[in-house]
Amino acid sequence: MSAVLEVRDLAVRMGAQTILHGISLDVPAGGIVTVLGSNGVGKTTLMRALSGVYRATSGTIRLLGEDITALPSHAIVRRGLAQAPEGRQIFGAMTVAENLRLGAIGEADQALLERILTLFPILRERYRQRAGSLSGGEQQMLCVGRAMMARPKLLLMDEPSLGLAPKLVKQIFDLVATIRADGTPVLLVEQNARAALRVADHAYVMDGGRIVLEGPARELAEDERVKAAYLGGHAHA
Amino acid sequence: MFDRFDIFFVQQLVNGFSVGLVYALVAIGFTLIFGVLNVVNFAHGEIYMIGAYAGLMALIFLAPPWVALLLIVLAAGIVAGVLLERAAFKPFRRFRDEASLKSKAMRESTLLSSLAVSIIVREATEKIFGADMRPIPRAYANALQEPILIGELAVASGQLVILGAAIVMFLTLQFILFRTQIGLSIRAVAANPLGAQYVGVNVDRTVIATFAIGSGMGAVAGILIGLYQGTIFPAMGFAPGVKAFVAMVMGGLNSIPGAVICAIFLGVSEAVATEFFAQGWADLVAYLFLVLTLIFFPTGLFGAGRERV
Repeated sequence: MSAVLEVRDLAVRMGAQTILHGISLDVPAGGIVTVLGSNGVGKTTLMRALSGVYRATSGTIRLLGEDITALPSHAIVRRGLAQAPEGRQIFGAMTVAENLRLGAIGEADQALLERILTLFPILRERYRQRAGSLSGGEQQMLCVGRAMMARPKLLLMDEPSLGLAPKLVKQIFDLVATIRADGTPVLLVEQNARAALRVADHAYVMDGGRIVLEGPARELAEDERVKAAYLGGHAHA
Repeated sequence: MFDRFDIFFVQQLVNGFSVGLVYALVAIGFTLIFGVLNVVNFAHGEIYMIGAYAGLMALIFLAPPWVALLLIVLAAGIVAGVLLERAAFKPFRRFRDEASLKSKAMRESTLLSSLAVSIIVREATEKIFGADMRPIPRAYANALQEPILIGELAVASGQLVILGAAIVMFLTLQFILFRTQIGLSIRAVAANPLGAQYVGVNVDRTVIATFAIGSGMGAVAGILIGLYQGTIFPAMGFAPGVKAFVAMVMGGLNSIPGAVICAIFLGVSEAVATEFFAQGWADLVAYLFLVLTLIFFPTGLFGAGRERV
């Protein structure tokens, strides 16, 4: 199967500290892949390196076969890799409309904008308001909508459910499935392992800056180690 | 008090208003650059001075029509601003960590590097043109001292030129910031530099554009005041630089409308102060405002709290 994203032996060092020790992973066309792990194991560093916000110390990142390891972040977005980053990173002083406009590459695609506003009715309602005045859940919708405006060939989502009410969490994961159904593969980083494994096809588990486990999501959901460490319970709980 | 509210007083208000507009043009450059990089550009006053000298050279060698003169100065300011950014700011912007654009180390380094550039430019100008005041060619200076009577009030034609140029530049700036892609990028980087990277904004290009716009406006302010006052000199950028800095702080550091309003207020206050005190004391007004602002309004008069998502 042809991979949209191919990461090989990716290492990231910050000063004297090595945060990622040779990560390798694939995102196949049309797939949802999730990276699980607790706080501080390097998930967000991985996502930032993929978007070119952090530089890889060694290893390669290929998007649709093209080596993007050394490209600056804006060039990576232009190649078709968009991200809904951790902490949302929306432009609070600007309107919802401007945030979405900024997500687009070149001219904003009106049909796509319409599709996003239909997907997130709240954004249509608050279209002319300051993004900073939205609630956390609404900001998360804006963050994902903004990334979709780039018409990405691969969408990265970093902890989209963080800090959201359970009802919204379900909405976010339904959304991930919708985005895939629309034809965009998704790489999802989550602490909410249960929900992530339910929606994903394939999963990687990170610990200490390494991939320690990988496999089809359904198998990992049954894996004793994963259950113990990330699904908050024992085999027969 | 009220007996002073005569025509001379109104005249002073008009004079103060036009000087305030010039401060505002300088303050906008400060505020734009501070918004995007979170650093104070100490060489901004020298851009103003370069604008005045570029204008003088153009007057002497080309004698262009007014609009062309302002465009030449604008171009000179843009070039100077871009060179300044490359020389004093870019070298300190190579870190790619989380705080890459707004780290403290970067802030302190560029504080000194821009100060260094400003000293070099000022001293070089003195070396080339001499430290003395240089008069603007008579024909031009006179054209701007033409009194225009509005009732009892005499407005110098130069004040109308300043007003016209300032309004055109304010409107153009608003258009750029709110209606163009590069303006959107500038506001995005100012609001959230990390977020800007995720949406594919070319941060480096945006920073250059910010310097170009801010410096172009600062340079035009320089030639406007040079024409209006009739003389230019290498150290002329210092005082307006300080005033514009005060206006930026009073305005809340990252509010362009706030900086413009405070700059005009400052210009008018100084003019009024000369009614009551000697000219030399009027400069104290700016410092007094700075101290009062910092004590009583630490976030500025128009600072709605810093937006740092």
